[in-house]
Amino acid sequence: MTDKRAETEQLAKVWDNPRGWRALSDVNNSIIGLWYFAAAFAFMLFAGALALIIRVQLFVPDNTLVTSEFYSQVFTLHGTVMMFLFAVPIFEAVAILILPGMLGARDLPFPRLSAFGFWCYLIGGVFVCGSIFFNSAPDAGWFMYPPLSTEQSGIGADIWLLGLSFIEVASIAAAVELIVGVLKCRAPGMHINLTPLYGWYVLVVGGMILFAFPPLIAGDILFELERLLDWPFFDVTRGGDPLLWQHLFWIFGHPEVYIIFLPAIALLAMIVPTFAQREITGYSWIVLSALGTGFLSFGLWVHHMFTTGLPSVSLGFFSAASEAVAVPTGIQIFAFIATVMLGSVVRSVPMLFCLGALAVFIIGGLTGVMVAVAPFDFQVHDTYFIVAHLHYTLIGGMLFPVMAGICYYYPLIMGKELSRAYGIWSFWLMLIGFNMAFLPMHLTGMLGMPRRVFTYGADRGWTELNMISSVGAFIFAAGFLLLIWDCVRPKRHQKQVRRNVWNAGTLEWAARFGNSWGMRSIPEVNSRYPLWDDKDFLRKIDEGEGLLADAKEGRRETLVTSVLDAQPIQVLRVGTPSWLPMIAAAGLGCVFIFMTFKWWLPMGLGAVIFLSAVLRWLWTGSAEIPEKETKDIGGGKHIPLYVSGYKSTGWWAMFITMTGDLTAFLALLFGYFFFWTIHPDFPPPGIDGPGWFWPAIAGVFILCAWGLTLGARLVNAAGRPGLARLFLALGWLAALAGGLGLMAGPWTTGLDPTAHAYPAIVWALVIWILAHLATGMLMQGYGFARLLYGKATPTHDADLWNIALYWHFAAFSGVLAAVVIGGFPYLT
Amino acid sequence: MSKQDPVTEEVKRETGSGTDLWSVIIAPSIWALHFLVCYVSAAIYCEKLGRDAPLADIRLLVIAVTIIALAGIFWSSIRLWRAHDRSLTDDDFEYEHNTPEERHRFLSHVALMLCVLSAVAVIYVTIPMLYLESCR
Repeated sequence: MTDKRAETEQLAKVWDNPRGWRALSDVNNSIIGLWYFAAAFAFMLFAGALALIIRVQLFVPDNTLVTSEFYSQVFTLHGTVMMFLFAVPIFEAVAILILPGMLGARDLPFPRLSAFGFWCYLIGGVFVCGSIFFNSAPDAGWFMYPPLSTEQSGIGADIWLLGLSFIEVASIAAAVELIVGVLKCRAPGMHINLTPLYGWYVLVVGGMILFAFPPLIAGDILFELERLLDWPFFDVTRGGDPLLWQHLFWIFGHPEVYIIFLPAIALLAMIVPTFAQREITGYSWIVLSALGTGFLSFGLWVHHMFTTGLPSVSLGFFSAASEAVAVPTGIQIFAFIATVMLGSVVRSVPMLFCLGALAVFIIGGLTGVMVAVAPFDFQVHDTYFIVAHLHYTLIGGMLFPVMAGICYYYPLIMGKELSRAYGIWSFWLMLIGFNMAFLPMHLTGMLGMPRRVFTYGADRGWTELNMISSVGAFIFAAGFLLLIWDCVRPKRHQKQVRRNVWNAGTLEWAARFGNSWGMRSIPEVNSRYPLWDDKDFLRKIDEGEGLLADAKEGRRETLVTSVLDAQPIQVLRVGTPSWLPMIAAAGLGCVFIFMTFKWWLPMGLGAVIFLSAVLRWLWTGSAEIPEKETKDIGGGKHIPLYVSGYKSTGWWAMFITMTGDLTAFLALLFGYFFFWTIHPDFPPPGIDGPGWFWPAIAGVFILCAWGLTLGARLVNAAGRPGLARLFLALGWLAALAGGLGLMAGPWTTGLDPTAHAYPAIVWALVIWILAHLATGMLMQGYGFARLLYGKATPTHDADLWNIALYWHFAAFSGVLAAVVIGGFPYLT
Repeated sequence: MSKQDPVTEEVKRETGSGTDLWSVIIAPSIWALHFLVCYVSAAIYCEKLGRDAPLADIRLLVIAVTIIALAGIFWSSIRLWRAHDRSLTDDDFEYEHNTPEERHRFLSHVALMLCVLSAVAVIYVTIPMLYLESCR
């Protein structure tokens, strides 16, 4: 027994959170998740206050409380903050906080990446929100349509673009972390069919982020190039087209609605079975509906553009897909209702919020089916009907489920209980206030009130409806604040709650409050609800009978398992507290923030800080060669401490990141072909270039660089690290030559990017590839150094695998870009 | 396949074979490709030929692509139909046991249902092309 106690003490020591001011260097998921959560709610309260300003302004007709300019800033910031700083990050916050416990992992595979993402998010969010105090907030609506935003907006549009691009980095970081977490860090025995539904949803949403956010990043790049350097992507007078932005924005924007909705509804999938005291009904149906929704939601983006004059057959395609997505969305809701009906429901506050969520979301879904019909949409486009619809879907589909989640998980995370009376009051205030605020808006919209007007005349007949909405908004806010107060009020005198206070069946409730390593030992999981099905389960965990019950080597470790059947394949040593993620985020923040003000020198300095911090982080904290090959994790299992290639988490992270990166490149390429479709002559008459010669040269060199990098990995694995170094050096030169060749094309033919959208998009593609070649060269240099210093060897070659993988993607993009800019003009 | 001894089947799956995540997303990916081809080709066609152009030519293309897409989904369904069966242990659709065979059947069930959903969505998307006359 003393052995067991020593083990526990050792675990506690290894996973101890840093204290004092060093607490800020923490990276553990239980702390980062909380910070994320707190920050998201702070931003939410800020945006909520903005919403109340809107409602006060619209309370009476011809109101002069705020000016038109300020009002524009207020509604733009309200939408932007709610979408980008609350709705998406709250998913990341909740997932980082509870996912490892659900899967039986001690931490997520890349804790420092979570910390980096959090700091990016916080810095970017404060920057964007702070702008309103200097009267320079973005003011062109949360989707920033040009030409309004390119021609008229002040610095606000730049703040929006750069601040949000920065925050998108955090989202993609979280997607990488969570996808790898769900696929590779499940407890042994947790086959893919036993994975908690929350994990499935996170997997789907992570995948969606990879295909949805990059087009927006590509759009942001084009947009900022226009604002900063006057490259006319969206300027009709010089061959651009504002519709390109609308496409890129909504290719992101519509899936984003589901990126927000799915993880919130996933909380319902965890909560409903607990209070129905039975397993979820139709597990496989929910999985397929999550997957189906994930796919179909990408076929909807043009339904935001029904009134832009596209051919009716285009509208027809998107209208049909918009109706089709109701099928999978409906399946999961029916499954939840069936679970409630088949179980014996325990009355509780989380359950109230769940039922409220279903009711409100269904109303929003039904109006969604209405506006998916193009002729109806023509009538209500940009009116308060749309405002009502989107708030019903977002508040029913996201806010209420998140509230349910807070009430449900509060005892697990904080160790104390929330007041039942406050919860019930809060729920009814929110439900009544919400419907009072938004139900009348359907009518206000039908009566013709457009969105985003700062006031209206008394003769319009909108006065009473607006008054009701405003009163409702304040009741809603009161309910929300009541719950927040219940969360933050001091509870020192309250007893700590007992373990698994709701008698739930899933793994996260096996954790004890107040430690950051999750479970005492990692159990073998045999069912979806192990706490219900195996009465001996908790005892086995607590007495250290599971796997990885100790941390003898003084390292933070978690188990990596195989994707489908969760067989242990590696003991992963995860990152420990470090300042590097914060420094890297601060450096990257300087790059984005100073670019807004065109302060090039501090921006360059920020870039240097960012790069140095990332390199140091990688050099000291990744692909470390362990002191022994395998570790005994208990149960007679000896598991490797080091793996490389597609068995390793790092390889998957690179693969996932580069998938997102490739999507962004394809979005830029879409821009190129978009310009081809709208111009009768393409390239436009009088503009010749970049010719075929230089792109061809570039393509050949890029292929050489790729081949040499891949060759370096192969010869190294064959025991020739010296030759591998030579290959990397030659590859570096080839990449340099490829980059110069690619630039030479538009350079020598005198393509002026400010003259027309065609040369501008060619240059944009070239710059994208140059940036990737430069990153690839940095990686080749890194691999060279790793081999030189013996940090990578023929048997420990994870670095080279990952670099080669990067080059597969970089070379594909590079060659494709060369073929398109060099070859396509000769086809037209 | 289903006529073989279930125990032998299960032992075979221990190697990690059977339906995997990639085959689960085949059908929705076919839907996505079909959708893109329909939308992109119609958009280019209408942009290049003007709003008065009749849709007759492009309609043939869309119908052809739809047939190919449905054939692909059908092929995927047939493959899954063979593998798909009720849970080996309980003879139900819950798939809640911890064996590779159960995982295989679970994924096959999900994939098969996704085939149905994707086929419905493909047909849905094709409908506008069947009744619209011109690019207006």
